[in-house]
Amino acid sequence: MKKTLFTVYVFSRLNTKRFFRDRLALFFGILFPLIFLFVFGGISGGNNSTPTINIALLNESKSPFAASFEKQLNNVKLFKVDKTIHSLSTANNKMQKGQLDGTVVLPPDFGTKKASQQYPSGQAQVVYTQNNQTAGQAITSGLSDAFKVINSALTKAPQPFSAVAKPTTNKSLTSFDYTFAGLLGFSIVGMGIFGPINVFPELKKQGILRRLHTTPLKVWQYFLSTMVSQALIGLISLAVMFLVAISVFHLKVVGNYFEIALFLVYSIVMILGIGLAIGGWAKNERQAAPLSNIVVFPMLFLSGTFFPRFAMPEWLQHVSAVLPLTPVIDGIRLLTTEGKHLVDLGAQLGLMGIWLIVIYIVAFRVFRWE
Amino acid sequence: MPDVILKVDRAKKVYGKKVAVDGISFEVHKGEIFGILGPNGAGKTTTLEMIEAMRPIDGGTITIDGIDVASSPEAVKRIIGVQPQTPAFQDKQRLTEIIELFGAAYGERVNAMEFLNDVQLGEKASSYPENLSGGQKQRLSIAAALVHSPKVFFMDEPTTGLDPQARRNLWDLVTHVRDKGVTVILTTHYMDEAELLCDRVAIMDKGKIIALDSPKALIKDLLSRGFTKKQKVEQANLEDVFIDFTGKGLRD
Repeated sequence: MKKTLFTVYVFSRLNTKRFFRDRLALFFGILFPLIFLFVFGGISGGNNSTPTINIALLNESKSPFAASFEKQLNNVKLFKVDKTIHSLSTANNKMQKGQLDGTVVLPPDFGTKKASQQYPSGQAQVVYTQNNQTAGQAITSGLSDAFKVINSALTKAPQPFSAVAKPTTNKSLTSFDYTFAGLLGFSIVGMGIFGPINVFPELKKQGILRRLHTTPLKVWQYFLSTMVSQALIGLISLAVMFLVAISVFHLKVVGNYFEIALFLVYSIVMILGIGLAIGGWAKNERQAAPLSNIVVFPMLFLSGTFFPRFAMPEWLQHVSAVLPLTPVIDGIRLLTTEGKHLVDLGAQLGLMGIWLIVIYIVAFRVFRWE
Repeated sequence: MPDVILKVDRAKKVYGKKVAVDGISFEVHKGEIFGILGPNGAGKTTTLEMIEAMRPIDGGTITIDGIDVASSPEAVKRIIGVQPQTPAFQDKQRLTEIIELFGAAYGERVNAMEFLNDVQLGEKASSYPENLSGGQKQRLSIAAALVHSPKVFFMDEPTTGLDPQARRNLWDLVTHVRDKGVTVILTTHYMDEAELLCDRVAIMDKGKIIALDSPKALIKDLLSRGFTKKQKVEQANLEDVFIDFTGKGLRD
């Protein structure tokens, strides 16, 4: 027993050393996930700013009221007015391409005073495409709010009912919290799956695994040593991501770092099994690449790596809930930003445990030394 | 009667319909250098792989030092060393670490420098294998195969692709290994190599052994059947000229 573990110890140690000498491995293991962090962290904006709605304003009226309304609209935070658009056809074109959410048209009579009326009046039109109902309604209600204020100022009549926004002091999850948990998941997949599927076929091609097979080395010793060094390298890589997320993107970690580290190691070991199974089975890159794409890409997109799962249709959420990466990403978010503890993660840990067993049974069965 | 270390008894290997090794039998004595010769596809490598417990044996039995290969592959692997046809090592690993790694594969802590010095690679101890020449890689491969002091050492075409100096150096190494009491079994395409190195050779063709004896006896037998070379035998050949001009010293 002592001798078999000595084997694992030496293989793990030398494997880890090798990683730090390999510039390409360092790039993909540590720098590459950081690049993603900056790209996606930048997109999600770091904090929970209100989304802006891109609109075009076509002012066809020459009335002074319309001119001042146009100026006011530019100041409304909710709207971002594209000032380059001056005709409905360009606006339509941009809306169809999705570059514009809606168009506000102030007709020629907008803001003019009709003979029978005391005040200037008018009706602004909100133009939007079929599939952008939400934006259309948001723009309409935004304008209605603005008009309400104008109306009451003009008529001086009291307003019996009104609504006022009152933000709570509680912080909800920011989009970066989701992004960060997803990116950690992505990074674990990158190391755990893409690592072995790139390395193993190459080792087989060169006959290096075959050479090891002439020794009494057992598959479990080889797997275990890969696991140990991957977990170590993975923790370092993920720790760097945490550092960057905290210092650059103001990530607030409320969880316990020890629990997070334990959970990450568990996740790395489980996901690594997928890489060991595919890489261990494949005789060459041509077998490994398509299979890994079939396994990895649906998982990446459905498990909430790049966008949160709650944004998916419900039936898809049911499907993606049981994928192996989903409990990893959920667990990371629950532990890191939602202040949960490992004891609260029974569902996640259990699902991962089932996957762990299934994956490793397959990995041991299909492993080939050459 | 010499001690038998390897006994192959009617060993057979079938791939689909093709019989790769057709029920061959032979014995290898303790401490000899035994050569398996034969054209490509004769079944040499398959035979080696069955003996090394790398391929299932489809028929017959093979025992090494009394251990049955088919039923105890694990135990067999502990007493044999294997030198593959093309030695390959993971890059970015020092030679000392590679030796250490192979020692660990047998669960043993080894003095890497000692093994590297044995094959004249002491100076290269901190290099990576990707910076070694072909001959140096072969020597590293030999060192790696001997870390656990095996009783039998298998070499598959060890000198293919080496320059004359490196070949000679490897021959010296092989004899050196044998002198330490290790039985050496090798395959080769070079008849001069077999004649010079091997105590006995088996000639294989189409999955069968068609001749087995010492090189001298085989030659004598051929001559006794009335064979004569057309060409007059020179006292030296071009290789002797080459070595005379360039010396025996290793070039890598």
